[in-house]
Amino acid sequence: MTWLQAILIGLMSATAASTIACLGTTVGNYTLNRPLVASLFVGLIMGDVQGCIQIGIPMQVMWIALVTPGGTVASDLRAVSYIGIPLAYVGAKAAGWDFSGTEAQGLASSISAMTGVIGITLFYGTAMMNLIWQHIGWARLDKGDFSIIGKVDVLFPLISHFVLSFLPCTLLCYYGSTAVADLFAVLDVSVWYVKALITVGAVLPAVGIAILLKSVVTKTADLLYFMLGFALAASMHLTLIAATVVGGVFALVNYQLTMSKSSGGAAVANDEEDI
Amino acid sequence: MKKISKKTLNSSFWRWWYGNLTCFSHEHMQTWGYMWSMLPIIQELYATKEEQQEKLRTYYPFFNTEPQIGCIVVGITAGLEEARANGAEGIDDEMINGIRAGLMGPLAGIGDSLIVGTYIPILLGIAVGFAEGGSVLGPLFYIVVWNLTSIIFQKFVYDKGYELGGSAVELIVGEQATAFRESVVVLGQVVVGAMAASWVNITTPIQIATNSEGEPVLLQGNLDGAFPKILTMLFVLFAWWLMAKKNITPIKVLFLFVIIGFLGSVAGILG
Repeated sequence: MTWLQAILIGLMSATAASTIACLGTTVGNYTLNRPLVASLFVGLIMGDVQGCIQIGIPMQVMWIALVTPGGTVASDLRAVSYIGIPLAYVGAKAAGWDFSGTEAQGLASSISAMTGVIGITLFYGTAMMNLIWQHIGWARLDKGDFSIIGKVDVLFPLISHFVLSFLPCTLLCYYGSTAVADLFAVLDVSVWYVKALITVGAVLPAVGIAILLKSVVTKTADLLYFMLGFALAASMHLTLIAATVVGGVFALVNYQLTMSKSSGGAAVANDEEDI
Repeated sequence: MKKISKKTLNSSFWRWWYGNLTCFSHEHMQTWGYMWSMLPIIQELYATKEEQQEKLRTYYPFFNTEPQIGCIVVGITAGLEEARANGAEGIDDEMINGIRAGLMGPLAGIGDSLIVGTYIPILLGIAVGFAEGGSVLGPLFYIVVWNLTSIIFQKFVYDKGYELGGSAVELIVGEQATAFRESVVVLGQVVVGAMAASWVNITTPIQIATNSEGEPVLLQGNLDGAFPKILTMLFVLFAWWLMAKKNITPIKVLFLFVIIGFLGSVAGILG
């Protein structure tokens, strides 16, 4: 990887730094931060869009839902997207693997989990550094300086991003890619620890899906709907869009039942009043 | 009669849309984004610097919610601020902050489960399907559909909040809204099941017997005969149980699964 490529990837990581992204929530966090979208941009930078997207798919699946209630994060995808994807791509390429094959996909999932942990460190670091700007802001605000608000909100945090997104991502991509390429060029897939790494990659997406499951399930009985969806795809081989339609039917029935129950209850109450 | 101009409302909306979390810290999560968004409104409604400074103080307290559906709160306070500038009764710091504090939690719940937990995963799921084989169609589909629908939705709820003011509260915590939310979550539950079955594939190489022709009988085949991909489903449910029922953080569960996968492979149970 050249310095220019590493610097461009580092810049992308700052625009997409999880909930604090310098391009905001909708474009930064929920667009450029997602591994599937990132794989397109990393692909453009690395000169292989198709290969990078194939590597990005298992990484996206693993972190399909990332809810950050109250600012506690399970992972910050800036590191998965802009450290994990380039390194996994370089590794799979050096090993000569098919990008959509089991080895490459398993490796991508494993790297996805590891870089997710790096991301958490970067996230808390950025949030901590922003405290400095906010404290400067409160002091100036007491003196009636309104112009400080915009600076604190969007300008100063760019320094946090330079230190905690741009620098680590650029350096890890540049130096990491050489190390990863050297390592994978001599890697033998039949060795037990490589097999284990690939198995880990197959097991980990279960956690990603479980995080998503937790965000939609409140009662244990809700798990039956999950199992229904599972059976639709696994036993009846429905696609995701088809399963969405079936789910939509259940949602509609549920809505009508709830509404008729509540309006029915109101009608009974009115009748009693009439008597 | 004071009225906030269209231009100022737009500026307030875009400032919130862009800057709601750009200066996040754990002490004041969205407070600075909120102040930056209210500033043009306050500067237009109140003439003197002293008045502006005093009104801005209303927005000093902590604020945090799901910021996209949270547009409605900023819209509501814009409407309330306009009413207050026109001398409406009963709108003071306490009332405005009561609404802000009261809506933070419910809106975070709605936004996290509907937008982040259901809508985005479904869009991404469809996009992953389009991206199969490395096609750019997948990412492009997500970029266009998500940004377009999300921005239109955010502008809509901001304007709705401004229009309705305090009475928008019923729109969010009312009976109909609750029924709607719970129903969409049912859709989410079904789709998550389909995602688990489509994307996760955990298998075991364990051989349980040899049949009459001397071929190995694999446990995997027997399990799939009972319920296709049941091993995968059990792993997902196990991870869910650890997080939801045992309150173990996702990162710890992740580490646990790394160990399970590694040892399982070495022992010849998984993979």
